[in-house]
Amino acid sequence: MWSRAIPIPAVVVFLSAGTLLAQDAPLPPGSVNINLPANSPLALISTSLSDSRTTARGAALILDLHMSLTLRNSSQNRIHGVTLRVVSQEVTLGGKGWVTYPSLNVGPGEAFPARIDMQLMRPSPIISGTLVQVDLDGVLFQDLSFFGPDRLNSRRTMTASEMEAQRDRDHFKRVLAQSGKPGLQREMLASMAHQSEVSQLAVTVKRAGRAVTSAAVPGERTAEFAFLQFSDSPVAPLEGWAQLAGNEARAPHINVRNNSARAVKHVEMGWLVSDQSGRQYMAASVPSGDATLNLPPGKTARLDQEATLSFTSKGQPVNVQNMMGFVNQVEFADGRIWVPNRQNLDNAGLQKVLPPSAEEQRLTQVYLKHGLEGLVQELAKF
Amino acid sequence: MKHPNEATLALHAGGDLGLVARWRTERHLAKCGPCRDCVAAFAQLREVLPDLAEIPEVPWNRLAAEMRANIRLGLAAGECVRTGDGNEGATVRGSHRLSTGRAALAFASVVLLMYSGLLLERPSPVAVPLAGKEGPLVQATENGIQVRAGGSAFRLMNAGAKSVTYSASADGSLGARYVDPETGYVTINNVYVE
Repeated sequence: MWSRAIPIPAVVVFLSAGTLLAQDAPLPPGSVNINLPANSPLALISTSLSDSRTTARGAALILDLHMSLTLRNSSQNRIHGVTLRVVSQEVTLGGKGWVTYPSLNVGPGEAFPARIDMQLMRPSPIISGTLVQVDLDGVLFQDLSFFGPDRLNSRRTMTASEMEAQRDRDHFKRVLAQSGKPGLQREMLASMAHQSEVSQLAVTVKRAGRAVTSAAVPGERTAEFAFLQFSDSPVAPLEGWAQLAGNEARAPHINVRNNSARAVKHVEMGWLVSDQSGRQYMAASVPSGDATLNLPPGKTARLDQEATLSFTSKGQPVNVQNMMGFVNQVEFADGRIWVPNRQNLDNAGLQKVLPPSAEEQRLTQVYLKHGLEGLVQELAKF
Repeated sequence: MKHPNEATLALHAGGDLGLVARWRTERHLAKCGPCRDCVAAFAQLREVLPDLAEIPEVPWNRLAAEMRANIRLGLAAGECVRTGDGNEGATVRGSHRLSTGRAALAFASVVLLMYSGLLLERPSPVAVPLAGKEGPLVQATENGIQVRAGGSAFRLMNAGAKSVTYSASADGSLGARYVDPETGYVTINNVYVE
């Protein structure tokens, strides 16, 4: 019956037409360009783009890019972090991406793998020239020295991450020294339980104006920040406010004072929000918007951002009721970085709200994969 | 002298002839007065025709409805004649084969047309609209994070990670941190919108 209603040749031809509309094709040669400077401490050993492909969907083109790189440390120092800049200017005007590998421990002459998985969607099926450009933005060494153009401030980001890593490794080493392996195991189990309990918000960020995914906006109001103060923080928050409307928050402004004896060139605040039930979430960070910030000792400055953030959790809008801020990172003029210690975070109850550091996340994975002995050996490497 | 037929002269009057036919007709008209008169008459008629549509007393809709009814009547009559034919099965089978062939031919034509369109479109790059009305934004997706602007998107994927920690910044960036299941290294993807 079916074959009488729809002739078989017509079905074959129709399927052929469908194939034309959604075609898979390998990535054209020259689509990806990886650029490492001549004096780079990293050498590119191999590149693989297997399983990468382009798919034409109607008038649009989707590129699935699976890049596996093998890089070798060609310097004399141990590498503790790498940032690669990934740009597709043709696809995202004004947008860019980067991939950071913190918590590395790569000795001179050693090789390590790096993966970049990305997808580009563009409204034109035409492919021409280089679609993706990968550049080295920075390499952080064990002694916190740095190599790279640092266009993405990766020096500061990776140094802060390294400071947190040292802080957390020292904590677990101390636990091991004081309470032995059973104590370290308890810490690992507590960390894993904490990681599974931390509530995360899905945040959409737009540089100016309102985000498009917001729910109904009942009316905007100005809300003030409450602040958590850390006794050893070089910078103290004074006052701050942001505009709230439903599940959106925009234009946070925070005044801070430099309480230290050294000049400060970057401050980053942590921004917590709580919903109607009082549940707290880590919403975002508020960095100083001024790239040329110079905050001398005893002086005040204002952190201004004009972005709009919208918050959802499990697909539902989270209406912001209250906001809280804390100093999350300070960079001094000499390049040194301050981050809160674990005691500060514990005392303020932040450990329950904040996700663990990258290093703590890595160490729990080492524990899961290689057991307690594996973790002890890993800690001994640093 | 061989004269062009009336249809050719009418098409010429409307400027609808092909290049070669037009050239041949013009050559003939240069030497033939009666044909020139005929073309002039067709041209004059063309000028009057648009006005006919404006004549209110001509009931065009009723005429069209009557024509459709007559066509349906003719088709129905044709069916009656076919039913009365003793060789019914052969006729239907023959008709089915014919319609199958026609359908396949029609689909093949459509595919050929689409394919030709794609081939013709390929050499000329199309301007890509890069920003929608709402402007670019960064957000988390099911498997990663993305910068989205209009119909374009730039996504960094989480590469099969089970546990991902997202971090937003009011400077317009969004990060996704996870332990790469293949390499075992912590990886932090970031996207940023200016």
